[in-house]
Amino acid sequence: MARTGVWTWLREDVWEIPLRRYLALLVTAALVVGGWFGVGALAREDRSCAPGVERPEGSEECVGVSTSAYDFDRPQLREVIRAIDRENRSLKPGSYVTVALLEPFTASDPDNLGDVLHEMQGAYLAQYRANHESNRKSPAIRLVLANPGATGAHWEFTVDRLEEMTKSPDRLRAVTGVGMSTENNKRAVKELTKRGIPVIGSSITADNLANGQGGKDPFPGLARVSPTNTDEARALTSFADVTAGRALLVYDKPGDPYTRTLQKSFMKLLAGSPYEPQPFTPPTDRSEEGTTANTFWQIASLVCGTAPETDTILFAGRHTQLRQFINELGNRSCQHRKFTVLTGDEASYLTGDKELDRSALTHKLSVRYTALAHPDAWAEDGAKSGGSAADAAELAELVATAARRPVGPIGEVSLEDGQLIIAYDAMRLAVTGIQRATSKGRMVPRLADVGLQWPQVKGPLRVYGASGWICLDAHGNPYDKAVPIVELTPEGKARFVKIAWPEEKPPAKECLPPS
Amino acid sequence: MGRRLHGRGALFETDPAGLAPRLVGLRPHQHRVTPYEHPREPPLVVLSGARGLGKTAVLAELRESYKGHTPVGLIDCEDPEFAAPPTGRPAEAWSPVSQALLVLAEQLAEQVTGAGRIQFPRLMSGLVAVAAGGWGDADSERIRREVQRILLLNESGSWVGGFAGRWAGRVAAKVVAAATGTGPLLSAAVEATLESLSEGFAGRRHQRASAWYRDYPNAGDNARRGLILLSGHFRAGGTSREHAERHLVRALRADLTDAYTGVLPRMKRLGRPLVLLDNAHTAPGPGLIEAVLRDRTEGVGDQVVFFAAVRGNGRPALRNATRRALPELARSSDWTPEPGSASSRALVVSLPPLSGDDTLHIVGADPTVPPQLPQAAHRLTGGNPLGITLVAEAAAQHPTEASSLGELLTADLRVHPEHDGRPAYLELLDRLVPPDRLDELTVLAAAHDHDSACALARALLPEHFGPADVRALGERLTTEGLPAVPGQFVGDPFVRTLLLLRLHHRDTDHGQWRKAHETLVDHYADPADEQVRYRLHHELALGSADSAVAYLRDSFTTLPAREWLAALRFVASAPYFHAHDADGRDHCGSEDRRTAVALGRTDAGHEPPEGADAALHLRVRRLLHAVWQLTDPLTLPDRTVGQRLRFELEQLSNLRPAGNALLWRASRDWPEDALAGREPHIPDEGEGEA
Repeated sequence: MARTGVWTWLREDVWEIPLRRYLALLVTAALVVGGWFGVGALAREDRSCAPGVERPEGSEECVGVSTSAYDFDRPQLREVIRAIDRENRSLKPGSYVTVALLEPFTASDPDNLGDVLHEMQGAYLAQYRANHESNRKSPAIRLVLANPGATGAHWEFTVDRLEEMTKSPDRLRAVTGVGMSTENNKRAVKELTKRGIPVIGSSITADNLANGQGGKDPFPGLARVSPTNTDEARALTSFADVTAGRALLVYDKPGDPYTRTLQKSFMKLLAGSPYEPQPFTPPTDRSEEGTTANTFWQIASLVCGTAPETDTILFAGRHTQLRQFINELGNRSCQHRKFTVLTGDEASYLTGDKELDRSALTHKLSVRYTALAHPDAWAEDGAKSGGSAADAAELAELVATAARRPVGPIGEVSLEDGQLIIAYDAMRLAVTGIQRATSKGRMVPRLADVGLQWPQVKGPLRVYGASGWICLDAHGNPYDKAVPIVELTPEGKARFVKIAWPEEKPPAKECLPPS
Repeated sequence: MGRRLHGRGALFETDPAGLAPRLVGLRPHQHRVTPYEHPREPPLVVLSGARGLGKTAVLAELRESYKGHTPVGLIDCEDPEFAAPPTGRPAEAWSPVSQALLVLAEQLAEQVTGAGRIQFPRLMSGLVAVAAGGWGDADSERIRREVQRILLLNESGSWVGGFAGRWAGRVAAKVVAAATGTGPLLSAAVEATLESLSEGFAGRRHQRASAWYRDYPNAGDNARRGLILLSGHFRAGGTSREHAERHLVRALRADLTDAYTGVLPRMKRLGRPLVLLDNAHTAPGPGLIEAVLRDRTEGVGDQVVFFAAVRGNGRPALRNATRRALPELARSSDWTPEPGSASSRALVVSLPPLSGDDTLHIVGADPTVPPQLPQAAHRLTGGNPLGITLVAEAAAQHPTEASSLGELLTADLRVHPEHDGRPAYLELLDRLVPPDRLDELTVLAAAHDHDSACALARALLPEHFGPADVRALGERLTTEGLPAVPGQFVGDPFVRTLLLLRLHHRDTDHGQWRKAHETLVDHYADPADEQVRYRLHHELALGSADSAVAYLRDSFTTLPAREWLAALRFVASAPYFHAHDADGRDHCGSEDRRTAVALGRTDAGHEPPEGADAALHLRVRRLLHAVWQLTDPLTLPDRTVGQRLRFELEQLSNLRPAGNALLWRASRDWPEDALAGREPHIPDEGEGEA
C-alpha cells in the first residue's frame, strides 16, 4: 500500500507537473553527481591519514609530509611532535620558512624509532633556539616531518610533496635529517638536490652520499655534519693501532653505501692480511633479523681458529647484523681469547638494543666504534680546537629546559647515541644557511640561495656545533670533524674513550680546509 | 475513491476518456493529464433532464473528482443566497450574477496540487465598483465587511500569506476611508482599489489587471472611468445591468486565463478550471451561461470548462445547441460551434435513466434483498436514479418489508442520520415534483386528459384553480422534462404512482382517494362512450372488479383480440392498495387478495351473474386479477400467478380461433414480461402468427 502511495505521489504530484518534474530531475542529477564525487571523495579520504599524509596505493604506511600534530601511530613520538606543532602554530603566517625533517617515522623496530625520536628532539631544540634567540634573525623556522616510509620506499611521493611545498605558502627552504645511508635515501637526496632543494644530512656517513668523491658533485646543495665513512675509518685507524696480521674483516655483501664505504676503508688497512674477509648477506631491509645469525655463528667459529695474536675484528655492517655478530661472539668457543670489534657509527644503535646479549661484553670482548657525537666528548676542554665544552654545554642546558613547558616536554631524552646532538647541529647548519641567504630587507630567502651558502661555512663563519666545529669544504663535507671513539659497555651505554681526528690531529684554529 | 456513480461512465471513464476528462484534461480523482478533445475552446456543457435523474449527483461527483487537482467552483442557483440581496444591501448594488461570481471565485481561488491560489484582481475591482454603488447611506462597518470579502479574492495565499492578509485589511481600511470621506464616494473607492493593485509588491500581472478596465466601452483608456461606468450600468438595471454583468463574468474569465498564462503557470497547472452550475435554469444560471456563450461567440475566448445542470430540455434559450444523449458522448462529442450562433457553443447532454443492470448493481448490492426486488424496483422507477437509490436505501433500512415495494415506500426512511424518518414516497415526491404544486398534482395524477383533470379539479381542488391552471400545470410538467403521454395527465409512471400513493394515504379513511376515483367514474359514466375502459379502470381502483369482468367477458367474443388485450392491460393497470373489502375499506393484514382470486381460490364463493357463461366469467375474472397483480409496480410479481396467467391465456386462445395466435403469443410473453419487470407487450398480428 505504502509503495503504491509513494508511486502515485511520484507519478501524479511530481512527474505530472512539469515544474516539479524538471526540479526533481535537476535535484536527482545533482544528487547523482554529488554522490559520484562524494563517493570518490570518500574513497580518497579513506587513504588519508592526516593533513599531507596518506597511504599510497598498495601500502598501509602513512607517508608524506605532516604539518600537524599527527604522530604516525607511534606513541613514543607523540610528545615531541606536539611540541613541534605547538611551536609551528605559534608562528605568524608569512613570517616563516619551512624546514623538513626527513626520517622514517613509521619505522617499526625500536632501534630505528629511538633514533628517529632523538633526531626529532635535536631538530626541534635547534628550531626552538632559532625562533627564541635573543637576537633572533628573520625568518622564523617551521619544522615539518617528511616520512618516506620505514624503508624509504615511498621517497618519490614524499619528494614530490616537498617540492610542492617549496612553491606553496609553506616556503620550504631546506630538508634536514635523511638518517641512514640507504639506497632509497640516496635516491631521495639525489632527487631533492636535483630539484634544487638544499639537503643537510645529519647522520649520513656514506662516502657515495657525499659530494667531492672523485672530484664530482652529484648532489648540488648537499651539506653534511657527520664525517664521511672514509674520514671515520681514518680517524678509527688513527686511534687503533691495527696491522694486517692482527685483524679480520667481516663485511656486508652486497652491502649499502654505508657498509661499502666502511668495507673499502678497512680493506686499505688490511692490505696483505693472511685472512680472507668474511662476507654475510642480510635481508634487503637490514633492520630485519633474517638468517644471518647462522652465518655469524660460523664466522665466530672461524675467529677462534685464527692465530693467537689476532685480536681485532673489523666489522662493516649495519647494527642488527652487528648485534647478531656480537651475540654469537659472546658464545664463541675460545672465551679465553681477547677481541676488540671495531666498527662505524651504526654501533651506536646498540646502546638501547634490548636484544643485545650484554653478557658477551664481559667475556674479554670489547666493541669500539666511531660515534657521530658524544655528550662526554667535550666534558673536559682537552682539545684546544675543533670544538668546545661551552658549545656542548649550551645544548645540555637546552635539553634541561625541555623537560617541561614552554619548551617541552619532548619525551625521554638520551644524548648518548649522539643522534640528538648531530640532528641539532644539522638543523643549526640549516638555520644558518637560511639566515645567511636572506638578503637585507627581505623576509624570506630564495630557495636557490640557501644551498649556495655551504662553501662559506668555514673559518670565522663556521658553525660552532655541539658535536664540534663544522667547517665545510667546497663540497659541503665537514673538514677534520671531531670523531668520538666510544666503547659499548655491558650496561648498554656508550662509554667515551677518546676523540679521534680524520687528519690525525685537530684542525688549526682558523679551521680552513686546505685546497 | 469513494462512491462511484452508476451508468455515467460516458462522463467519468478514464479509458477511453469520458467527456469530463476530455474537456478538463485530467483523469478523475488523479493528477494525470488526458488529451483535450477541444483544445481551442471547450463547449459549455448543459446537462438536461427531469428531476431525480442525477444531475446534482453528477455535478457533485465532478467536484469530488477534480477538487484539489484543478480549480473547481460549484454553486446551486436555487440556493437562497442568490435569491435576494443580504439584509442592508440595496438591490441596485447586488444581483444574483454578482453574488454567484463572488462565491465561484472564492472556490476557484483555492490552491491545487502543484500550484498556489488564483488571484482575481479584475473581478475584485469590478465587484468593489458595483458594491460601492450601494454605499450611499452605508455605515463604515458594513462597507468594511463587504469590501473585505471582495478584497480577499486577491489574496495570494503563498508564503507571504500573512502579509497578503494584512494587505487586504489595509486596502479595506483605505477604501472605507475613501468611501466615507468627503467628495465623490464611488470614484474614491475605485481609485483606492486600483491604487492598491499597482502599489507595493505588485508585479506585472497586477499592472496588467489594473489596466484591464481601460477597454470598457467609452472608458477612454482610463480604468477608473471604466469602473465608474460599469458601476453606473449595473445600478441602472435592465439591459444595462446585463451588459455590466457580462463584463464581470468576463473579468472572472480573464483572471482565470491570466492564472494559466506564462511559462511558470503553464509548468505548474494541469488541465482547465471547472465551473459547475446546478439548477442553472434559475437566476443567476441563465445570466452566467448567456454571458459566456455570447463572449465566446464574439471571440472573447477562455479555457474554462462549464458544466450547467438545467431541469427540462433547455429550450428555447439553447435553440441551436448541439444535443446528445449521454451514451453518445462516450468517445467523442462530435461538437462544432457555428460561427455567429451563441447557443451553438453549448452542448446539451440529456441524462438517460439507469439501465436494469445499473439497478441490479445498486439495489442488489445488498445480498439479503429478495431476488425479484431489483427488477421490480427498475419497473417502478423506470430507471430514475433517485428512485432507485432511495428504494435501495429503504430496503437496507427495512429488510423485512423488502418483499413489497408499496410497503417499502410507505415505511419511514431516514435520509439523514440526525433527522427523523419520513415515508419514502414523500421524500421522493419532494424531490421529483415542483413542491409548490404537489397538492394539485396529487389529485390530478388520477386524470387522463385535460377534461378529466378539470373534472377532478372542480371536485377536489379549491375553486380558484380553474382549467387555465390545469393547462399551465400540464405545460410546466413538460418544461420540467417529464414526458407527455397520451391518456395520462402525469406522463411519468413513477411520479404518477408516487402521487397516487400520496393521494391514497392523504387521509385515514382514504376519502380523497375514493372521491377522486368516483369523480372519474362519473366523468366516464356514459356507457356509449369509447372511453368506457377508463371508468372500469377507476372502478377497479376502488376495489370493484365486477363491471370490468363483465365488460371483458362480453367483449371477448366481439372485440378483435388485439384490442381486447389492450383493454385488459389498461383496466388492470389500476392502482391497487391491499386489503380493501368489497366497499373499498381497509382490511387488517397485508394479504394481496388478487393472488387468491387469480389462483381460483375464491371461485367457489363467487356467483357468476345469471345468463353469463360461468366458465368464461370465472376465467376472465381470474385473468384480470392475475394481470392486475403481475403488472402492479408496487408489488413483486408472483411466479405462481405468472404460471396461472400463462394457463388462462392459453385456454382463452382455444376459445377464439380467430385470435388464437395473438392470445397464444401473449400467453408466452406476458408472464415473462411481468417477471422481468417489463410492461406486457401486445403482440402484432404478424407476431402472433409466427
